[in-house]
Amino acid sequence: MDTKRLTRMALLTSFALIIFVIELQIPPFLPLPGFKLGLANIVTVYAVYVLRPADCALIVIARILLGTIIAGNPMALAMSLSGGLFCLIGMLLLSKVIDRRHIWVCSILGAALHNLGQTAAASAVMQTSAVFSYLPFLIVAGCAAGLFTGIMAQAAVNRLTRK
Amino acid sequence: MIRNQRFWVAVAAFVFLSAVAASIILYFSRSESTVRIIQDGKVVTAFELEGHPDEELVFEYEGRKNIVEIKDGRLRMRSADCPDKLCERSGWCGKGSLPLICLPNRLVIEFTASDTDAVAR
Repeated sequence: MDTKRLTRMALLTSFALIIFVIELQIPPFLPLPGFKLGLANIVTVYAVYVLRPADCALIVIARILLGTIIAGNPMALAMSLSGGLFCLIGMLLLSKVIDRRHIWVCSILGAALHNLGQTAAASAVMQTSAVFSYLPFLIVAGCAAGLFTGIMAQAAVNRLTRK
Repeated sequence: MIRNQRFWVAVAAFVFLSAVAASIILYFSRSESTVRIIQDGKVVTAFELEGHPDEELVFEYEGRKNIVEIKDGRLRMRSADCPDKLCERSGWCGKGSLPLICLPNRLVIEFTASDTDAVAR
């Protein structure tokens, strides 16, 4: 791995963590278990369109592990990892067919996949399917959050890279 | 079709609208009044909420406590030893409510049609 590539990944991971830490200060404004704005995913969406798939996976996993340590909520790790990886794999595939003018669409679908992954993990941890009754609400909120992060990421991709 | 950007916009719109429809249906159509409390995958207790005497139930998980208060045919998570307190913020729940979930303490309070499933488990 060359130094430039390593530095760029480290920089993106720290950007994501800074956004994550700032977002921790925002109190949850919906009484919806598992709901978060997920602003740190601006970096994930950007990376999906700019970096190689393996590098995206590394920065997402690093962000989730370090974020869990910073937030001090190890119980959430299974949900975060499952949601994060569902979202990442889905967006990596979608980025092959969705162009750079429609990154926001990719981000919305990624957010919905994140909700699906985290709910599946929650149902495995809690051993009940009751958690799935929150999935539609999570997806509605997730689509809105995904649209916002997608627009941010699209602006970043189009300004920071030249074709 | 798969490379058509409009197709993906339509897929995203479909996901969003079906989630909105499912949310509305879920929110307004539920009327189940049997409460089933599950901790760590096991049914701890199941009872009929309507006509249940006022009571406080305490559940412990790895030394952390959840206190469930039952009053006038409704219940709420009165206190929970957990970081986010999301279940407390859900407030009072009557029949047909969405499940109360305390993720850190693996506690689920769900509203089901009858307690026959609970017995089957």
